[in-house]
Order: sequence, then C-alpha cells, then structure tokens
Amino acid sequence: MSDGKIVSIHSFRGGTGKSNTTANLAAQVAMTGKRVGVVDTDIQSPGIHVLFGLDEQKMGKTLNDFLHGTASIREVGLRVGDNPREGEGRSQLKGKDLFLFPSSINGAEISKILKEGIDFNLLNEGLQTAISEFNLDYLFIDTHPGLNEETLLSIATSDVLIIILRPDQQDVQGTAVTVDIARSLDVPNLLLLVNKALPKHDASAIKADIEAKFEATVTSVLPLSFDIAENASKDLFSLSHPDHEWSKALKQVVPFILNAK
Amino acid sequence: MNNDVLQRIKETEFFKELSEDALKAVVDSSLLQKYEPGDVLMRKGDEALSVFVILEGHLKIVTTDAKGDEIIINKVNPGETLGELSLVDERPRSAGVVALEYVEALELTKQAFFELLDKRFDVALGILRGFSSRLRFSTTYIEKVIDWSQKTADGDYSFLDYTQPLLNRVGSDDDKAAQLLSAFYSMVHKVRAREEGLKQQVERLTFEIDQERRKKEFEEITGTEFYARLKEQAQTIRKKRQSS
Repeated sequence: MSDGKIVSIHSFRGGTGKSNTTANLAAQVAMTGKRVGVVDTDIQSPGIHVLFGLDEQKMGKTLNDFLHGTASIREVGLRVGDNPREGEGRSQLKGKDLFLFPSSINGAEISKILKEGIDFNLLNEGLQTAISEFNLDYLFIDTHPGLNEETLLSIATSDVLIIILRPDQQDVQGTAVTVDIARSLDVPNLLLLVNKALPKHDASAIKADIEAKFEATVTSVLPLSFDIAENASKDLFSLSHPDHEWSKALKQVVPFILNAK
Repeated sequence: MNNDVLQRIKETEFFKELSEDALKAVVDSSLLQKYEPGDVLMRKGDEALSVFVILEGHLKIVTTDAKGDEIIINKVNPGETLGELSLVDERPRSAGVVALEYVEALELTKQAFFELLDKRFDVALGILRGFSSRLRFSTTYIEKVIDWSQKTADGDYSFLDYTQPLLNRVGSDDDKAAQLLSAFYSMVHKVRAREEGLKQQVERLTFEIDQERRKKEFEEITGTEFYARLKEQAQTIRKKRQSS
C-alpha cells in the first residue's frame, strides 16, 4: 500500500495563478525523482492540461468518465513526459514519473456532470486508487476557486494544503476563512504561498505580516511577472526559465512539500 | 615654418604616427592660413578640399535647425584637426566651421595631400597607422561598453568599483569612444544610486482582516449538514489512511 500524500492547491478567488503554480510545483517535485500525479478537479473550468501540452484530441478518458462509471482511474491517468509535442521546458520531464488525470473540456460533458452532481465518495475513492495504482508519492489537486462542496472535499482529504493568495485585501480576507476551515478539518500541513507580489513591495515584510496574521507558514513570495503572462500557458515556466526570479521563488516551496509529515 | 608648428601637428591624432622627416614633408606641402573672428573655414554641404590643423585659436562647428537658425554642435581647440575623414571618404562637409577668435591653421589641400601620399610611402603608412590605432582604440572601448551593458542589465554594478583608475586616464583623452565610455560609466553610477534610493522607498503593505466577517462566513459554511458529514468522513478517511 502506498503512503502517497494528497497536496491540494487552493485559492479563495480566481486569477491567483493557481493552475500555473500547481503544474510547475508538480513538475518540480517530479524532477526530484518522486512519483507525482496531478488531478484537475476544477471540473467546471478545467485548464491545467494546457500547461502540460495536452489538447482535447490527445486526451483519452477523463475524470468525468470515471465519475460516470465508464472508465477506471488507470485509464484516465497519462504520463506527461511521454507527450510527443513537448515544449523546450517540458522535455526535461522525459523519463520522470509525472501523471496527469485530466477533466473533460467538452462543454456537454461539463454540463452533464454539473447537472448530475459529483459523487464525492466516488471521487475520493478515485484519488485513493490513483495513489495506489500509480504508486504515487504525491497527488496534486488543482481545485476550483472559492469554497464550494468539491473544494471542501479536497481540503478535507488533503495531507498538505497550499493556499495561494495575492498580497491584497480581498485575498487576505478570503484566505482567513479558508485557513479556519482547514484547521476545522484537521489538515495536517497548512502552507501559504503569495503570488503576484509587485516589485515595489517588500517581499520579506509581506511574508512576516501574513505569517503573523494567520500563524501559518508562508513558503515563498512569488513576484508578478509579465514574462509568465507571455510564456506560461505554452510551457512550464519554471522548467523553460529555471533562473527567472519567479522560478527560483517557486522552487523554494518544494522542500516544504517534501518535508511534510 | 618653425619647430612649434612641427610639434603641434605631431600631437594630432591624424599625424601622430608620422616620423620627423615625414612631418616636414607634410608641413612643406601645406599653407599657413590666418583667420579673423567670424571667418568661415568651411560650409555645410561643401566639397571637402582640405584638411586643417589648428595651431592657434578656437572655432565653432555649426549647423542650422529647421527654422534656419544657427546651432553650435561643438567647439574646436588648438591642436585638433578638421576635415581629415572627408578628405579620405570624399563626402561633403557635414557641418560648417567658423572662427571664434584669431585663428592660425595649417591647410593641406586635397591635391597636395594626394600627391604627398603618392610620392611618400612613409607619409601614407603613417596616416594609415593613425587610422588603425584609432580604430583599435575605439573597438577596445566599445567592447568594454558592451560588457558593462550586460552587467548593468543583470544588476551587477561591481565594475564601478574596480575600473576607477582607468577613468582618470579617459578624462584627458579627446577620443569619442573614450568619451562614450566615460559617459556610460557616470550613467551607471547614477542608475545605481537611483536604484538604491528606490529600494529604501519600497512600500510596506498592510492588511486588515475583518474578524466579524471572517467569523460569519466560517459559520455559514460549517453550519450546514453537508459540512458536518464531511468533517466526520474526513476523520474516518484520515484514520483509515494512517492505519493502512
């Protein structure tokens, strides 16, 4: 039996760079030699597959098929390094163990599952099966922003919860509620990650201020970058631009994940 | 012509590589010209027919703006040469030159210059050496500026500290590439100072959490039946995973 950990990445509002950060973090952990999975549970608006160079045609079975009972988890997972149309950065994942469990991007599939509702027990079972069948060390979950039911479920089942927030009033307020929920659900490892910090703001002061407010660890403060806006959705930025300020700050998060108990 | 004249042209960039004997040949082919304040030595657009070595007095280099008014581009000092590039590449004068005071200059006409080059191999070689040395000098400085530009772009200003002695030498040189290097150096100096000033002005963000709203939203989510069931399930799942 695998003792793989579930790492949920969450943000209270959209636009924090959550999918991009999740994909890059998962890739960086896979680069250390760990077996890593990424599940897109943002069923309403899936998007993380793009970062791994996947389009609808390359997608086989999806998480939706699993939830409808027409596919097994084994059929849904696909190895990212095997993807033939890799970008320059992604090609480094060749030979690494990084698996993606995509959600369907087909409009009809999305509305069908939203109408029928998600069987949370089945989804949870799927996550556990993914860990054991693929012998994963870490399973990253890219959640839908906000605190809806499927997000609460992924928080409840996670071993590590990383909350991404921008250094602004609204994100801080929303994060406060998420932190309280995570503590109420006994999440063992609660980590914060600040993204899109402006250069004129002092990163170490932001870190100290937020850590004091939430009594939780801020793993890193990532800068706002136009380079990412230009490049990110085409490739995994931290692999294609390893020496960029943003990539360096992102890599600081990796040991927090590897050291989580 | 006396030794002072020989010494003067020996000090110019253009003739500095010439031997004593070659310099004498240049002076013998030249004419000593005298100008009063306001006299025009050359006009913009004229065919380049002579090179001048300024022996005494200052001049101004002028052009005209869109309205036809005179603009002074630069000043010419004793010991400098005028028009040597045009003589070789045969382009028309790019600006006008006017005497600011009493000026003495040595004029070497194009015809005399070419005859001299034809007859005296040592003069031709000396002029060529002068051009080569200027080119080499400029290239070295341009390479330096490229190197500094890259370092500046990377935020590495360390060269400012270890290149100080080189700059003292640059100050006494009238070469344009050296002037560029010197201007670049002082620019980066100012950029670094401004950057350090900005760092100190970095804004400190402060956030305030509305605790009442936080509590209310927390209770709205946790007060549902769904949440109670989820909390129970989560405990079961965690226990199960710990024991497995």
